[in-house]
Amino acid sequence: MSRYRVSMDIGGTFTDVVAYDESTGAYVASKSSTTPQDLTEGVFKALEAVVESPADIGFTVHGTTQGLNAFLQRRGEKVLLLATSGAGDVYHIARGNRTRLYDIHYRKPTPLVSRSDIVSVAGRLDYAGEELEPLDEDAIRSAARRVRDDGFGAVAVGFLFSYVNPAHELRAEEILLEELDGVAISLSHRVAREWREYERTSSAVVDAYTAPVVRRYLKRLESEMTERGLSVPLHVMQSSGGIVTSQSARDLSLQTLLSGPVGGTMGGVALARILDRPNLICIDMGGTSFDVSLVVDGKPDVSSETTLEGFPLLMSIVNIHTVGAGGGSLAYAEAGGLRVGPESAGADPGPACYGRGGTRPTVTDANLVLGRVDPAYFAGGQMTLDREAAESALARLGAELDLSATDLAEGVCDVINAKMAQAIRTLTVEKGIEPRDFALVAFGGAGPMHAVFLAQQLEIGEVIVPRFPGAFSAWGMLETEIRKDSGRAYFTPLAALDHADLAATLGTLEEEAFASLAEEGIGAETGRVEHALDLRYVGQEYTLTIPLTGSQEPTEDDFDANLGARFHAAHQQRFGHSNSGAPIEIVVVRTTALGDLGRIDPIAHEEVEKPAAARETRTVIFGREAIPTTIVIRDDLSHGATLEGPAVVEEATATTVVPPGVTLRVDAFGSLVITASNRKES
Amino acid sequence: MALVERRVDPITTEIIRSAFTAAADEMNATLIRSAYTPIIYEMKDCSVALLDAEHRILGQSAGLPIFLGNLEICTRLTEELYGREVWRPDDIWIMNDSYLTGTHLNDMTVFGPIFHEGELVGFAASRAHWLDVGAKDAGGPMDSTEIFQEGMRLGPTRVVEGGVQRADVTDLLGRNSRFSYPAIGDLGAQIACARTGQIRLRAIMDQYGPETIAGARDEIFAQTERLEREAVEAIPDGVYRAEGCLDDSGVSPEPCWVRLSVEVRGDEMTIDLTETDDSQPGPVNCGEAQAISACRVAYKVLINPANPPNGGAFRPLHVRVRPGSMLGAQPPAPCQWYFSQLGLLIDLVVRALSEVLPAQAAAASYGDSMIIGFSGVDHRNGQPFFDLEPTVGGWGAWEGSDGQDGLINNVNGSLKDLAIEVLETKFPIRMTEYGFRPDTGGPGQWRGGNGVVREYTLDAEAAELSLWFERSRTPAWGLFGGHEAKPPEVVINPGRDDERHLLKASRVPLRRGDVVRTMTGGGGGFGDPARRDPEAVRVDVREGHLSLEAAREIYGAGVSE
Repeated sequence: MSRYRVSMDIGGTFTDVVAYDESTGAYVASKSSTTPQDLTEGVFKALEAVVESPADIGFTVHGTTQGLNAFLQRRGEKVLLLATSGAGDVYHIARGNRTRLYDIHYRKPTPLVSRSDIVSVAGRLDYAGEELEPLDEDAIRSAARRVRDDGFGAVAVGFLFSYVNPAHELRAEEILLEELDGVAISLSHRVAREWREYERTSSAVVDAYTAPVVRRYLKRLESEMTERGLSVPLHVMQSSGGIVTSQSARDLSLQTLLSGPVGGTMGGVALARILDRPNLICIDMGGTSFDVSLVVDGKPDVSSETTLEGFPLLMSIVNIHTVGAGGGSLAYAEAGGLRVGPESAGADPGPACYGRGGTRPTVTDANLVLGRVDPAYFAGGQMTLDREAAESALARLGAELDLSATDLAEGVCDVINAKMAQAIRTLTVEKGIEPRDFALVAFGGAGPMHAVFLAQQLEIGEVIVPRFPGAFSAWGMLETEIRKDSGRAYFTPLAALDHADLAATLGTLEEEAFASLAEEGIGAETGRVEHALDLRYVGQEYTLTIPLTGSQEPTEDDFDANLGARFHAAHQQRFGHSNSGAPIEIVVVRTTALGDLGRIDPIAHEEVEKPAAARETRTVIFGREAIPTTIVIRDDLSHGATLEGPAVVEEATATTVVPPGVTLRVDAFGSLVITASNRKES
Repeated sequence: MALVERRVDPITTEIIRSAFTAAADEMNATLIRSAYTPIIYEMKDCSVALLDAEHRILGQSAGLPIFLGNLEICTRLTEELYGREVWRPDDIWIMNDSYLTGTHLNDMTVFGPIFHEGELVGFAASRAHWLDVGAKDAGGPMDSTEIFQEGMRLGPTRVVEGGVQRADVTDLLGRNSRFSYPAIGDLGAQIACARTGQIRLRAIMDQYGPETIAGARDEIFAQTERLEREAVEAIPDGVYRAEGCLDDSGVSPEPCWVRLSVEVRGDEMTIDLTETDDSQPGPVNCGEAQAISACRVAYKVLINPANPPNGGAFRPLHVRVRPGSMLGAQPPAPCQWYFSQLGLLIDLVVRALSEVLPAQAAAASYGDSMIIGFSGVDHRNGQPFFDLEPTVGGWGAWEGSDGQDGLINNVNGSLKDLAIEVLETKFPIRMTEYGFRPDTGGPGQWRGGNGVVREYTLDAEAAELSLWFERSRTPAWGLFGGHEAKPPEVVINPGRDDERHLLKASRVPLRRGDVVRTMTGGGGGFGDPARRDPEAVRVDVREGHLSLEAAREIYGAGVSE
């Protein structure tokens, strides 16, 4: 009976469910409004539309914003922080840097734990983990009393050098467990076994702050699913792009904090494999933001650190670069010039055409006036747009700038497209990548509307609009695998490396990794473990992660030379120069456990050579000209169908705009593949 | 609003405006990603600009605030020195002379002309701090008395000729640095940055054509000028004054006074710095270009903080500098710590204008970098070590908000402190305390931020200590009845017989177990302390930012635990 593979992505507004029916090879997607008071309600509503009973589910994965929402709305658990005596203020000093340079009214993010809720505990290790001063156990017992008396729900422990020697943090946990019941404990070395006390403490605090909320939610969802007949483990998406069982997610809840948008990138990774296009730029454009992520050589671009509202988090995370550009971006005049974004009309009042009282024109208003959006079929017909309101908003601004409403409308789109293309270019330059060598994957409600224009600016030859562009993140979750990351500080110059010790460390990490895969139900045959080292030239601050061939590689002959050559080459690729004579140092050892859960082999549809059937012809403006344009419903397009621009493809969750001179073809997996001219429009 | 006659439509103008900014961002990304030393890619001690053929900014990317608008002076001076015909396609130049570029010799400016279809259409330039340029002490001296002790000094010099990097000049630069790998690496990054600017501006020219570009550029400049003139016009006419002093020059005991007046008349502003003290015997002088940049930072903070600068910016601003003063250094005045008086200058401009711009102003911050340096040999591996750190401190309060506790100074931008675990792993030093310094922020209706304590214990046989702590004679002042903050203090071996108090020092010998306790000052308060919300006082006492005694003394009776 276990015929479905199901993913569930809870977003801020909508909950998406995608189900793959293994008996027919067909995907089904459904959508419901997110129910913030009790998220399980929205989940089951969307689930019921595609799967009769949870008992029919053979595999399921879930992306949640529960922890993130608790963080963003500051509704997390009350946390007491234990810190090393003499360093108790580190969490509040927060490295002392500023992110806005011309602002004498700059404010640091307000810490999640107030200074009076930080307890300094005597007990000090040196840089090598040797004890200089024993742990003050009485101080921990009295902190535990405070937890009980003052109603703290969580304790974070961030002691200096715990990444080298966790003994003091572990002893603190023992004492807390003796004294307390039902209080969440986050040890900094367990959350992130890396150096830099502020970043590690911040990670532990965010974990302590959100974990109880996530745990309660997962427990509830799991028990309801089980009650309704689910017989397989529930998996949870992590920020790294991999998944874990909800059992593990409760222990590593920080890793699930940013799980939602990552699904889109993992969908890109799956597309890269299915379509055999290893290099993709993924763009997700919604109402308020434009997210860019990269798939390079078929792999997601993952880093080991991020910041969330100014708080650093040490964890594996797929890099997603967010730009303030979306359908709601406002157009306005400043000193006689036109500006578009980053200020957004948001969802309320939203664009003028929403008819909720917005009077300032937005990108969505512009698209509507240009005829690129069907006012009667917005968001799959869930909403009707007011074209007159959009037109008068644009006309008012146009009068200020001496432009007609339609000229301004196209101008607003041109400006936002130029900004998005420039953001992509700057991001790729930072990574040492040339956008021309990539294909563009567009999803999110507004992504496919703008994608071809961006591709033209960036001289990208091909735009791919996958199936279910509005639920692509959920689709992507179905295509990923188990992933568990661990890192360990390992600071030594390469020249002074004890090869046997490194191999032994890697060997231990590998054993731990396989053991943790076993907890996920992954045996040695489907599990694999990868190792890498964070390296840099002596004197540098930033590191590059260089993969190893295996845990025993350090014992091989010429290890130093081979590793050095790999590092120099990576440095050259990423930074444009390398320094083959300069000494190298190791900073962190990283181990990733991966478990294949079996993947869907999508069924290629048979090719039907026929032009796409047009639903209607509508006038759309391209290049200041009103051009009769073919409007097509996506469900009417089968494999092999082609369309010459100008055309617009409409579906429930997105609109794809195909400008003149551009060709669209539907591939065997139902993706729209648009060949943009590989030259800039002049 | 009557618009000037427009040659290019507002859509194209806006696309070109963002293309200029994006080109500068791309130059910056190129520099940051390929720079070798953390000072550039971590501390962002750099700046990039794309200029037009008349040396006006088309786009500038965020870097160190006090590098604001000081790159165009380099191409302009080169042209004045050698004539406009000196520019040839595919050449790239380098210079660092303090009296021309304004800053210290560590800051290398690399720039190249941009040609499009045979015509000179602009310049791409970057400035970045090199780790070492061969001064008498590693990194740079704290007690220099003439520029010749501060390292190699270059006038405009071709480092790339006809697209080929000159081996002889590169060799010269490498030989004059104690860290030649990073020096050559950073040079490579700056050359790559200039090339990125050349490629991007040519691409923009190809796409839109020189005439459209010129029309859009003029309109972009006009928009910025209009915005700024409106903002200056809104300030009541008058002359506003402020003065403050550095403790000393590092080699002489007298305070060094920065005195200024800001005259606002209609939509023009003139900052007159001519009353500032003469050039100093120690390294607290700077070239005129940098004094102008500092005035621009203060002006930008108050007038137009949001928009990226371009050639229309700063048109309403005039700056008067007296040659031979410490802000208009002449050879051979030492310039290594050129920014100490500039941080003060920025705060003083804000102070002078605070009475007419109370909402934009803030009370003074703790001052500048507050640098501590240790050098010696690490017994753990026999290698020499060199630790140089700025220290965070308290910032000034403003209308509606307390100042921030423990934040990096205005001049150093996005710099982070050195983590304890990184410090102790890399250097034979232990940090025994790092925390806030209660009661140091100036009291006020809105209180100033507190400074911090950083206490170091030497774990090696011997080392040398350098210090550059400032603003004990002009601690952060308050505004509108807010009180001034506590000044910085540095104590060596507190409580021991050999206890010493110092603020600036060069190469002080230390032995194992010696303790150096650095304490930075707070920020100034804003508004009368009597008007502070009693609840805020209670919270400060509870959170340990204010002692109970100080609370009672300053905010009066009625304060309880």
